[in-house]
Amino acid sequence: MRDDSSDRIFTDRALAHLSAEFSGADYEAALLAAYDAWNARRADGHWAALRASLRQISESVWPGAPLWAPASAITFALLLGAGLGVALPSVVPEDQPVFSLEQPAGFNLSSAGTAQEDP
Amino acid sequence: MHDPDAEDVAKAGRGDRDAAARLIARHGAKLLTVAQRMLTNRAEAEDAVQEVFLRLWTHAGRWRPGGAKFETWLYRVTLNQCYDRLRRRPTRPLEEAAELADDTALPGARLSEKQIGREIANALETLPERQKAAILLCHFQECGNIEAAEIMGLSVEALESLLARGRRALRARLQHLKDFAGDGR
Repeated sequence: MRDDSSDRIFTDRALAHLSAEFSGADYEAALLAAYDAWNARRADGHWAALRASLRQISESVWPGAPLWAPASAITFALLLGAGLGVALPSVVPEDQPVFSLEQPAGFNLSSAGTAQEDP
Repeated sequence: MHDPDAEDVAKAGRGDRDAAARLIARHGAKLLTVAQRMLTNRAEAEDAVQEVFLRLWTHAGRWRPGGAKFETWLYRVTLNQCYDRLRRRPTRPLEEAAELADDTALPGARLSEKQIGREIANALETLPERQKAAILLCHFQECGNIEAAEIMGLSVEALESLLARGRRALRARLQHLKDFAGDGR
């Protein structure tokens, strides 16, 4: 135990001759520059992931075509659908009978499909 | 237990440069010191710490406070980096290592402070890597035995044994420096 203690004192004295910490302002700047590079790669990585997903969808829709082709086709189809929806008249006739929950139904299942009886 | 780094780690993982700068300022020099003492090569130590920080940024987004203290994890990764690099080095014959420790040793001669420092650094270099790591953590990083043991993945008893052997070996290697610091006993 005494040996351990004297070894420790000896080691403490010996190591006191060595510089405790290596200063490195330049090095810290280099580490920060590496962080910036990593961060830029990470941001690029998100875009790359998005492009890859789009490419995958594009391949399933239109194999072998450049990305703009299915994108244009889908955009065109959406615009056409929206345009037709706005331009064409409603397919629901104006004189279709209206019913509401407050009013009793004008028909019942027992009379459906049979000749209507007079009350 | 509040980990002072936890918030900055999460922010750095999301791309917050200021948080990354704070982490580097808090730990960069300390890790470089450990790496340089372990590897005794400035350029290699810088590469090792660079690698540690790169690993940190990559994992920062997944860091969950509540487990190991962040600083403990950081030191552990640094030591592992150093062990890997030491193992990749071509082995040096023991005689050569002993010569390295003795090359400026002139018994009875008065050594300059610089020579003494070099002798001590050389003696430290020749220690087995785990003994060296234990001494570095406890002497330079002022880690307590519990924290140092956690960093090295050892029980406290095993760390104490490692420390005792390391100190004894260091003392044996520096026996010729009887009068350094004015007291060799």
